[in-house]
Amino acid sequence: MVKSVLVVDDALFMRLGLKTMLEKNGFQVIGEAANGVVAVEKYKELHPDLVTMDITMPEVDGVEALRQIRAFDGNAKVVMVSAMGQEVMIRSAIMAGAKNFIVKPFTEESVMKVLSKL
Amino acid sequence: MSNDGISKEPMLEMYLFEGNLLVEQLEEIIIKCEKDKKFEMGDINEIFRIMHTIKGSSAMMMFNQIGLLAHSLEDLFFFIRANQNIEIDFVGLSDLVLSGIDFIKAEMNKIEKGSGADALADELIGEIKTMLEQMKISYEGQNAAPATLANSTPDGQKALYYISSYQNPSAEKATKYCVQAFFEDDCQMENIRAYMLVNNLQEIVIEIHHIPADIIDNAASADIIRETGFTICFSTLAPYGEIESILNQVAFVRKMEINQVDDYPAEFKVLQSRREIILDEIPQEYQQTLTETVETGSTNNRQQNIISVSVAKLDMLMDIVGEIVISEAMVTKNPDLVGLQLEGFSKAARQLRKLTDELQDIVMSIRMVPVSMVFHKMNRIVRDMSKRLAKEVNLEIIGETTEVDKNIIDHLSDPLMHLIRNAMDHGLESKEDRITAGKPSQGKITLEAKNAGGDVLIIVRDDGRGLNRDKILNKARQRGLVHKPESELTDKEVFAYIMLAGFSTNEQVTEFSGRGVGMDVVAKNIEKIGGSITIESNFGKGTEIFVKIPLTLAIIDGIEVGVGKSRYTIPTISIRESFRSDDQEIISDGDGNDMIMIRGQCYPVLRLHRMFKIKNAVTTISDGMMVMIETDSKAACLFVDRLVGEQQVVVKALPKYLKKVQGIAGCTILGDGGISLILDANGILEGQLA
Repeated sequence: MVKSVLVVDDALFMRLGLKTMLEKNGFQVIGEAANGVVAVEKYKELHPDLVTMDITMPEVDGVEALRQIRAFDGNAKVVMVSAMGQEVMIRSAIMAGAKNFIVKPFTEESVMKVLSKL
Repeated sequence: MSNDGISKEPMLEMYLFEGNLLVEQLEEIIIKCEKDKKFEMGDINEIFRIMHTIKGSSAMMMFNQIGLLAHSLEDLFFFIRANQNIEIDFVGLSDLVLSGIDFIKAEMNKIEKGSGADALADELIGEIKTMLEQMKISYEGQNAAPATLANSTPDGQKALYYISSYQNPSAEKATKYCVQAFFEDDCQMENIRAYMLVNNLQEIVIEIHHIPADIIDNAASADIIRETGFTICFSTLAPYGEIESILNQVAFVRKMEINQVDDYPAEFKVLQSRREIILDEIPQEYQQTLTETVETGSTNNRQQNIISVSVAKLDMLMDIVGEIVISEAMVTKNPDLVGLQLEGFSKAARQLRKLTDELQDIVMSIRMVPVSMVFHKMNRIVRDMSKRLAKEVNLEIIGETTEVDKNIIDHLSDPLMHLIRNAMDHGLESKEDRITAGKPSQGKITLEAKNAGGDVLIIVRDDGRGLNRDKILNKARQRGLVHKPESELTDKEVFAYIMLAGFSTNEQVTEFSGRGVGMDVVAKNIEKIGGSITIESNFGKGTEIFVKIPLTLAIIDGIEVGVGKSRYTIPTISIRESFRSDDQEIISDGDGNDMIMIRGQCYPVLRLHRMFKIKNAVTTISDGMMVMIETDSKAACLFVDRLVGEQQVVVKALPKYLKKVQGIAGCTILGDGGISLILDANGILEGQLA
C-alpha cells in the first residue's frame, strides 16, 4: 500500500529534494507546507500517513507544529528533519511524540532507513 | 545526495533559484537594519533562518565553503538572538554580512556558469568568528552572569533532577535485561538515538538505567557511545518479543544484543542505588526562544500564494499562444470564405477572437514581473558608494510594483546600475559643495517606474549639479559631431551627446566612472530591448534620465513592405520617414553605390531587391517607395516595391537550422498565412555600409 506523506520545510530546495527521494521510493507526496501553521492545517485536511517536519521554520516551528498535530491525532507519525547542533530541540520533539529524526545533510539511503521503520 | 542517481539538474536549478532569492532578501534586511540602527526580533529570526537554510542546502549539494560560511553567520546571529541587549557595531556587522553575501553570490554565479564553487571562505569565516568572540567578551563584560546559549547544549550544565523512586511491588516479579547497542558509523547524534531507545522503552519498564548516563545534555556522550556502545539495563514485565520490536524501531543500529540477566552488572548497581531519574526538562531560557518564533514582518509570506514556473515553459506558452493568434486569423480571414454570407460563423469567429485576445493578455501578464527586485538591488549600490564617496544619499523608490516582461527585466539591471553610479559619482556634489549651494547636505536620488501607454517609463532623478550644456556642446563640436546649427539644437539633443562612445567631459577618471565607456553601453543595452533614453537637466539643480522600454520584446510595431513576392517588416522604431522618389534624384558614385540627397544631407540608397536577390521586383525608382531607416549613428534609404501597411507583429526567432543573415532579426507569420521577415536596422546599416 502506498504511503502518503506531507513534506514540511520552509526551504523550497529541501521540499523538492525530499519529494524527489520519496517519490522515487514509492511514497506519494500529497502535500507540502512551508511553516508550522500551514503544516497543521494541511495535516488536518489531508490525513497523511507520514509527515517529514523541518525544525527551523517561520510562524510556528517544527516542534510546536508536531505538538499540535499529535494533539489532534495521537497516532500521527512524524519524522523530524534537523541540522547538526539541534539536539535539544530533537529531544523535545521526541518527547512530544516524534517517531524518529533525520539529520541534514542526508542521503536517500538514510532517509529510507528511517521511513521504512514507520 | 551526490551518489543517489537522482538527476542533479533540477536540484541545482532549485538551489540557485532559492539561494539567489534568499541572498537578495538577506541583503535587503541587513541594509535596512543598518540604516535603522536596530535589529527587530523578526529580522534576526529571518536572518537566522536564511543562513540556516543556505547552510543546509549547500551541505546537501556539497558546496562546503558556502555551507561553512553560512554556518558561521548562523552562529553569529544565534548569539545575537539569544542576547538582545548586546551592543552591536552596525556598520561593522553589515559590512561583514554583505561580504558574506558577495561571496555567496559570486560562488553561485560560478556554479551557474558551469565552473566550480572553488573559492575558500576561510578568511571571511575567521573575521566572523572574531566578531562573535568580541561580542561574547563584551557581553560578559556587560553582564555578571553570561547567559550565553551555544547552539548545542551548555557544557557542564546538567538538567538532572533527582527524585527518590518508590519501590514498585511487582518489581520483584519482573525480568531484568541488559542491552548493548552499537550504532552505525557516521550516523551522527548517537546520543540522541540512544535517548530514543530509552524513550521507547519507557512505557514498558519498571526501572531503567543506562551508560553513559548523561546522554542528552552531554554532547560528548555521542563520542563515548560511538566508541564503546550504549548499554541499557532495565526490568520489565513485557515479553521478549515486545522488547525486541520496540528496540528495533530505532534506526541506524548496527549491532544490538539483548540479554536476560539475573542481576545488573556492577556499574549499574551504583546507578541503581542512587535511584536517579532524569526528568527531561527543557532549560528555561531555551523555552523562551522556542515560543518567540511567531513574528510579523516576515517577507517569507509571499511564498504562500505564489508558485514558481520555469521561464522555459513560459516561453513555450507564449510561442503557442502567438501561433494560436495567427491560426485564428488564418481561419477567420481564410480566402475560402470570401464572398460567403456567414452570419452564424462570423458571430462565432468574433467570440473566438475575443477569447484569443484575452488568452494573449493573460499569458503576457504571467510573464510580467514587478521591477521591485531590480530597484531594490540599487539600495546596495547606493549604500556602498555612499560610504566610499563620503556622500550622504537617500534613494527614493517609486512605483516598484510596475511590471515588465521577464525577458526585459534581466537586461535592465546593468544599465540602471550605471545610471545610479553616474548620479552618485558625477551628479551629486560633495556635502560641502551642496551646503554652499544652499542644498540639503543629503543628496536625493529618485528611481521611479510608471506605465505610459504601451511602454514603461523608468526615471532616474538626482538633485545634483546637473549637466553643463555649453561644456557638452564644446566637446561635441571638437569631435565634429555637430551637424546642425547650434542655435537649433534643443537641450535634449545636446544632452544626448553624452551617450556617444568615448564622450566624457570629465577630466578625471574615477573608480566608478568617467572613462566615457558607460553611457554608450547603457544606451546600446536599452536599445537592444527596444527602448530609448532621453535626458533632461537643469544646470545646478539636477538631472533626469528617462528610460522608455516596451512592455514586451515579443510584439513590435512594424511597417510591412513588399519586394517582389516577398514581404518584410521594418520595426517602426527604426523608420524615420518614407517617400516617393525618382531616378533623377539618385546619384551614383564610381563603385556602383547609390545615394540620395535629402534636405542637404546625403544618404546611401540600399535596394532591397539587390540586397536579398529578389526576382521580379520593382527596379525603377519612381515605381517604388523609399523608406529611410536609422540607428543612432547611421541612416540610409531602403528601396522597396510598396508599403503594405502598419501592424503589430509577434516576433519569432528564426529557426535554428537557418544560417544567421545579417540584417534579419526574426520572422513573423501574417494573417493570410504568409511569412514576413523582420529587418534589423542595425544589422543592415552595419553590414552594407562598413
